[in-house]
Amino acid sequence: MHLAAVNLETFLQLTANGVFRGAAYGILGVGLALILGVTGRFHFAYGSFYTLAAYLAYTFKDRGLFPPLVEATLPFWVAALAGVMVVVALGCLLERTLYQPLARLAGATELLAVFVAALGIAIALENLIRLLWSSSSQPYFGPSREAWSIGSVTFLNFDVYSAITYAVLTLALAAMLRYTPLGRMVRATRSNPELARTVGIDSKRVYVLVFAIGTFLAGTAAVWTGLQFAVEPGMATRPVIFAFVVAFLAGTASSPIRVFLTGIGVALVEQWSSMWLSVRWTQTAVFVILVAYLSWLSFRQSGVYVKLQIPGLRRQRI
Amino acid sequence: MQIWLNYLVQVLIYASFAVSLNLLLGYAGQVSVAHAAFGAIGGYTMGYVATVHGWPFLAGAILGAAFALVAGVIVALPAMRLTVEYLTLLTIAVAFVILGVISTFSDLGGTFGLLGIPKASIFGTEMARPGDWVIPCAVMLGLVMAVCHRMGESAYGRVLKGIREDPLAVQAMGKNVVAFKLTVFGLTSALAGLSGAFYAGWLRLATPGVFGFPFALTVFAMVILGGMANIWGSVFGAAVVVLLEPLLRDAVRLDASTASTVQLIIYGSLLAALMLLRPQGAIPEGSRLLRRLRILIAGEGSLRMRLGAGPYGERREMPMNEDWAPDFADGERAEAAFAAPRRDRWDHAQPVLEARGITKHFGGVVAAENLDMELRAGTITALVGPNGAGKTTVFNLLTGFVPPDRGSVRLNGRELVGLSPHRIAEMGLVRSFQDVRLIARITCLQNVMMAVQGQDGESLLKLYLGGRGPSRCEARTRERAMQWLDFVGMAGFADVPAGALSYGQSKLVSLARLLATEAPVLLLDEPASGIDARWVETTLQMVEAVRDQGRTVCIVEHNLQVVGRLADHAYFMDLGRIIAQGAIEDLTASAELARTYFGI
Repeated sequence: MHLAAVNLETFLQLTANGVFRGAAYGILGVGLALILGVTGRFHFAYGSFYTLAAYLAYTFKDRGLFPPLVEATLPFWVAALAGVMVVVALGCLLERTLYQPLARLAGATELLAVFVAALGIAIALENLIRLLWSSSSQPYFGPSREAWSIGSVTFLNFDVYSAITYAVLTLALAAMLRYTPLGRMVRATRSNPELARTVGIDSKRVYVLVFAIGTFLAGTAAVWTGLQFAVEPGMATRPVIFAFVVAFLAGTASSPIRVFLTGIGVALVEQWSSMWLSVRWTQTAVFVILVAYLSWLSFRQSGVYVKLQIPGLRRQRI
Repeated sequence: MQIWLNYLVQVLIYASFAVSLNLLLGYAGQVSVAHAAFGAIGGYTMGYVATVHGWPFLAGAILGAAFALVAGVIVALPAMRLTVEYLTLLTIAVAFVILGVISTFSDLGGTFGLLGIPKASIFGTEMARPGDWVIPCAVMLGLVMAVCHRMGESAYGRVLKGIREDPLAVQAMGKNVVAFKLTVFGLTSALAGLSGAFYAGWLRLATPGVFGFPFALTVFAMVILGGMANIWGSVFGAAVVVLLEPLLRDAVRLDASTASTVQLIIYGSLLAALMLLRPQGAIPEGSRLLRRLRILIAGEGSLRMRLGAGPYGERREMPMNEDWAPDFADGERAEAAFAAPRRDRWDHAQPVLEARGITKHFGGVVAAENLDMELRAGTITALVGPNGAGKTTVFNLLTGFVPPDRGSVRLNGRELVGLSPHRIAEMGLVRSFQDVRLIARITCLQNVMMAVQGQDGESLLKLYLGGRGPSRCEARTRERAMQWLDFVGMAGFADVPAGALSYGQSKLVSLARLLATEAPVLLLDEPASGIDARWVETTLQMVEAVRDQGRTVCIVEHNLQVVGRLADHAYFMDLGRIIAQGAIEDLTASAELARTYFGI
């Protein structure tokens, strides 16, 4: 309505913000969509692993490898990688020792059982972090932080580095899924696990692999985000909710590139809407879009359940 | 003392959130993370009208519940046809939208929320100290439990449990699944709104944080801890979660903030462990303590005694209903029809169901092409043909589960195309499923009871205002369902959960369920397949008995002996088309069909 009042500079700045923030939503969405699409697990603890990665990277660098006993610290990059890899191992462990047995036990109610267990893990982990590191946020420093600008648009060097990292990781994952034998196994399991099993693909291992990749992407994003802001127990809530939004909007069976771009799209909507809406409305605007999309999904179907096609999520037994 | 009263009030309020969520989650199987947000609507409404307009507390609480009801129904509309993962996501999004919208209005305190809501007074008594809230909150919890118990443990709750496990099968029994879901969504939202109003009244504030995501997850956890579809369990779950914190503080001597953190760690891990160890919750569904006690006292479980009655037990006579044989009421023709050879019976019978030009394409696949067929009163029609010929699709098309692209289906002259499956079932055309589709976690008797039509307990009005009507109706329904179980010889399994049956047994129970609808036209998908060889003959006799009552039957069947024995008329299908029709002897006599299909 006030289109004319919005000047070009604001628009460009918001666009840049949207792209940078969207890259983060995108990479989290890519990891989550991979997990959701292949394993069908409503992995609500995704965010706790994200937070934990940032905390571990920070601790390894600033506090020591195991603060009460081992006080030796690691250089920044090694600490970051170590933090992410520990979380990757934990993610695999979670899939192998909790989700897989649970899915087998729960049978038809698998989805709910996994969701509830994941919820429990998420609550427990977040509070464990509060207990071990305190509830206040921890400053996390690594490479020096610089403000850059192009014309009137300003941003941080971290914004650029992180966006490049995310884009490269997304492309690498897309290429891996498309061109390598491992990637073909993942895709086969995603489209039909039973069939994949009959041709000798060990779907349990594929699931573990998928959890490793997804957790790695989340961990990487967490390290960058921690550098840009700070490390705090609640740091995952918002980005992870957005990751769910992105994963579902893009469709969990879509290519990582599409999911990534959806992430940028969501962030652009969020940023641009602040030109016309009060800032407090922008997050709500994103969820309104999600509600509208889900409603559309629901109403698009004719009056029957049978045909409800989910883009890639759990195969329906009809 | 005062502090413990405070905890008690907290337990009461949390329990009423948990109980109402359990009706939605445990009974109806609708995963909602938005329950706390509906509580926020109630809390904010009460707080706003109390602060700004000076409304009395109870009036504000009722208004809050009403607003939450409206919001719940609005949210439920798009949620109706979503699968559980999308529903979960939708409710997450809705929770964020509701709280986001609320915290945008400066009249509602923005992100800070409504602080300093005036002290409530109820019936002239001012709630001066927190402890004064014990009685009002206990009354409110009692009300919430009564409402949820009445709905959950009645014919209504039976349908909800059916929807939880297999909405399709429930629809096939003539239940309006969408209406049931909307009602339960609206009702539980209203109860959440009411609880939210009490919560805000007790805290004397309503903020986005109080009703935020962590609170939503806490309520969710209470339901899971206490057990799904278990109302007292939710109260127990609420008590455990709330009282863990003071326990840790006093018994383990942790300071307040550490205690609440440890509390969350414990119940979070408990939630995950519980899923592994007791997926049905601490007190699983159906395990009434009383029933356990009774079995304990009796020594040998009464359940096992009845199981010992033999694989299929005794059969009894079929229950009767005068409505079934309108066309045969004029005695003479009826006699002629029964006495005549089967071909004559078909020729003399009146068409009941007429399908004309039914066509359905799935993309390039022809599922049905210009089908013309009819079912005649008091006869058995068979659909035969190779696998993939589209026989089951015909059932789906006739019963409205798959809408045809073109064509018309008339039942006693009334057009069925365009009606929803439950309407068609109500009008008297019901179908069975090849894969049986019993509701696994309720008993065989409950499965059959669900199919009985016109139950008082399924009407909200009669349920809450009908006095003893619904329970009397429930007794009649039980008796009727028992007769049908008796008829198929499965009465000995009445109390066994349907999921525990063998395939053949579940097939028989599903037949009883189908018959219990008392619909005049029955479509049976492979009634005899998978049944113990000795019992096949009995099954065929049952189908004949149904026909002899004047009901109209159509079967899909591969076994030619079964078809030859039962069918008065047969349609031969291949690749979505009807290739031939006639008496089964004529079809098997056709050289071409014999070669391609019958393999003779």
